[in-house]
Amino acid sequence: MAARETAAASHDRSTRRRRRARWGVACAVSAALVGGLSACASGPEGTVINLYGGASQSGFEKIIAECNAAAGGKYTIVGNLTPSDADGQREQLVRRLAAKDAGMDLLGMDVTWTAEFAEAKWIRELDQQQTQAATAGVLKPAVETAMWQDKMYAIPKHTNVQLLWYRKSLVPTPPKTWDEMIQMAQKLKADGQKTYQIGITGGQYEGYVVNINNFLNMYGATVVNEDSTQATVGDKTVEALAMMKKVASSGVTSASLSNNQEPEIFAELQNGQSAFSVNWPYVYAAMGEASPEVQKDLGFAPMPTIKAGEEPKVTLGGMNFAISQYSKHPQEAYEAAMCMRDEKHQLMHSTASGEPAVLEALYKTPEMQKVYPMADEMLKELQNASPRPVTPLYQNISTIISSTLSPPGSINPQADAQELQEKIQQAIDGKGILP
Amino acid sequence: MSTQADLSRPAGGGHDADEEAVAIARKRASEGKKAEAKLGMMLCAPAALVMVAVMAYPIAYAFWLSLFRADLRTPDQNEFVGLSNYVTVLSSPIWWTAFGVTAFITVVSVILELVLGMLLAIVMHRTIIGRGLVRTSALVPYAIVTVVAAFSWRFAWSQDLGWLAGSSAPLTDRWSSIAIIILAEVWKTVPFMALLLMAGLALVPEDLHKAAAMDGGSAWQRFWMITVPLVMPSILVAVLFRTLDAFRVFDNIFVLTSGANETSSVSMVAYNNLIRGLNLGIGSTMSVLIFITIAIIAVVFTKLFGAAAPGSDEGGRR
Amino acid sequence: MQNETGKSKLMWLVIDLIVLLYAFIPVFWIISLSLKDSATLNDGNYFPRSITFESYQQIFANNDFTRALINSIGICLIATFIALLLGTFAAYAVARLQFPGKKIIVGMSLMVSMFPQIALVTPLFRIETAVGIFDTWLGLIIPYITFAMPLAIYTLSAFFREIPWELEKAAKMDGATPFQAFRQVIAPLAMPGVFTTAILVFISCWNDFLFALSLTSTSAARTVPAAMSYFQGATTFEKPTGPIAAAAVVITIPIVIFVLLFQRRIVAGLTSGAVKG
Repeated sequence: MAARETAAASHDRSTRRRRRARWGVACAVSAALVGGLSACASGPEGTVINLYGGASQSGFEKIIAECNAAAGGKYTIVGNLTPSDADGQREQLVRRLAAKDAGMDLLGMDVTWTAEFAEAKWIRELDQQQTQAATAGVLKPAVETAMWQDKMYAIPKHTNVQLLWYRKSLVPTPPKTWDEMIQMAQKLKADGQKTYQIGITGGQYEGYVVNINNFLNMYGATVVNEDSTQATVGDKTVEALAMMKKVASSGVTSASLSNNQEPEIFAELQNGQSAFSVNWPYVYAAMGEASPEVQKDLGFAPMPTIKAGEEPKVTLGGMNFAISQYSKHPQEAYEAAMCMRDEKHQLMHSTASGEPAVLEALYKTPEMQKVYPMADEMLKELQNASPRPVTPLYQNISTIISSTLSPPGSINPQADAQELQEKIQQAIDGKGILP
Repeated sequence: MSTQADLSRPAGGGHDADEEAVAIARKRASEGKKAEAKLGMMLCAPAALVMVAVMAYPIAYAFWLSLFRADLRTPDQNEFVGLSNYVTVLSSPIWWTAFGVTAFITVVSVILELVLGMLLAIVMHRTIIGRGLVRTSALVPYAIVTVVAAFSWRFAWSQDLGWLAGSSAPLTDRWSSIAIIILAEVWKTVPFMALLLMAGLALVPEDLHKAAAMDGGSAWQRFWMITVPLVMPSILVAVLFRTLDAFRVFDNIFVLTSGANETSSVSMVAYNNLIRGLNLGIGSTMSVLIFITIAIIAVVFTKLFGAAAPGSDEGGRR
Repeated sequence: MQNETGKSKLMWLVIDLIVLLYAFIPVFWIISLSLKDSATLNDGNYFPRSITFESYQQIFANNDFTRALINSIGICLIATFIALLLGTFAAYAVARLQFPGKKIIVGMSLMVSMFPQIALVTPLFRIETAVGIFDTWLGLIIPYITFAMPLAIYTLSAFFREIPWELEKAAKMDGATPFQAFRQVIAPLAMPGVFTTAILVFISCWNDFLFALSLTSTSAARTVPAAMSYFQGATTFEKPTGPIAAAAVVITIPIVIFVLLFQRRIVAGLTSGAVKG
């Protein structure tokens, strides 16, 4: 459930999944079994590039079709469906990569998987020329998510950052710091306002780790060193955890904080429980659909910081394209990926499906500004964003963080930091078990 | 016909029938023991072949991997570590917490399911109006895809979003979470129990009840003296399979709490290590431990209920 | 007497109503979710204030879903039929015959249902890709048969053991041929068990999520529960609650039909059988 995207108008929900190419290796066998039911009458032309991940996002079929037309028979991209949640996607990719499956060429990967897949040698390193093309004009933090140990392993596809959403009628000027936000919320509560809470994803899952990582970044703390050989939990981590605890125990969060994921905090904003909400850019368009009234009252601002005047360092989301080590057509796969995220298609994608672009220049275009009224705030955050811990053990570390620090209200900064250090070190050493 | 049925199934046990059956069995055995053995093996062969073909490798593979330090990401660096994975898991508080939660959920939900399932089975079996409607609708909960049912429970119990929660947030507390997990399990699987028990009830001859009623047996007595013994094999099968299933509880917890507030089951922990953490060694060790635990449960069960167990030589009508 | 039956009718009416409420209160919540629009989805009301069929239109406009429905029905019917056939053979042998290896088959089938399924996924995937049945109907039918086998063997043998087989002999003595004896005496008695098992096996195939997800990669064999997990919200962070609920409602209908058909057979087994006088 890591980061990806924004808005989509309701009508393209229904068209989104309508048509999908359904030829494939297995067709022959299933046709034999099923007889007339199988729909693999005609195969695609030329080299088939099987894309797994990201293909079912809104309007992406059109991009695939355009790139196939542009390829002029050199290759044909086939967009395969993947489960809608990131865990399900990773599970499927990993299972097939571990079996050296040649049926996957291009992988749409969550930004947190790069190190793991690269270290396992499941994805190909880009050569110098490819790296240059894949990074030209791309936001620097987004490039970093595609790198492992100074080598480029993927092509940045889209990115994402959380913003602070607030109710303009209750909050005339958005808070600059977390302390300020807590005080504002407490004041609203004391004034007898029903809408006063701070919405934040505190369930035991990846979205909570995103929040923890925000605080870690803001305090300059890390949990693991650059080579991923040593756990680096320290005093700054303790401070970051203390801040998380403070937010959770100041009486200004939802009673269901420790169970909340994005849909819940969105609903709390819609229902008039939350005056503030830390959430991704999709909120704007989605609220327009769910409750136009609330949308009119919706303000947005950069994420609050610890000290006033600081630049927020927000956790980066998004997706990259990587080329499978077992693909028989790496060159064509690379070209296909570059086509699907060239300037034109990226703008198409960003505006149709709400996946913020990785190309910096696009944020100033009128098309982008129209769909994302908050494009300037987003760009500001994106330029200064930081990835989640870059390590092949990210999934393990993320699981350790979310379970050790759950529920947010019962964090014991000192003791929990100690526990994190021990468990993360154990994970690095390949010992210990995940909760 | 009805007289024969009565003769063969006298109230209160059926000793005569058993003796007769044993006599027949002996005679038959001496006549064609070999032919019978051959037929038996032939009839079982297809089922056995399918199970061996599909399961032998995966099970053996899990046992094998549990002796290694193994990571899916680095298949060439597997290292034999003997039983050290078992030591790691069995000395981990995480494992034992999950074990306790799993055992609690299993015991409570199976007991509730048995009681409610029996009640439901009797209703489905005996109701005089709308029998088809009741039988069909009672099965609907079992037919709903587990993940979806779990998701709808989660939604229903979310503070202010769901109709059940109101302003409380029950899924943020350990024991109320466990209660909701049990509710979701029980709601869904009572029909499973009921269906198995009802098919067992169908074998209880109506005349037997009538005869016993005439002899002055109360409904309660008739239930214990006639129904329960005859339905016993069905009860055993239903409880056994539900216990094995309940001990592997995963979907409901995964959706409802994802293990927050110490509500992880052993399958959740195994999933986190095996599928998320890609730690094949530890994950396989946990799978094997779950398997062993369930095997112990199954053996205890069949020992307790002895004659009623399939495959035992004594029980049943022959 | 008239009064008596009236009273008991009333009693059963009340009891039936309780059963229906038990079964349907949570189900109506799912139906209600499938009918709500995005503005009222989060309002916490049990009944939708306004009704929209948008979710249903969406799922039926989705070729992958309709294809998955066909896959589900085909795969589950075939798997149920074969599992029942093999299970009946084995269960009959277990319940009625003495042969070496009986304990082994019983133990083996238990073992199949004791192993945590998540541990089986990866090895099964490897076998299927090696054999070439990954992402085909066969690739799901075979595991489904296997996982249904223990339940089939256990339930069926429990029923077979309770059948008064002496009746078969008695019928033969009355002049019936072995086939007549089987068809008119034993089969009706065995039917409730067989159809009960059929329902349980069918539902267990129908609801499988784990294998449907991991042993398929295209819509060639993907079944409905897996297809549902491919549903996209408008964005990654929005759950497609409406369509998921609608799909859950839609895929419960075939089960209801299946059960409706088969529960009559359960009744038939009782009324036309030898036991009832």
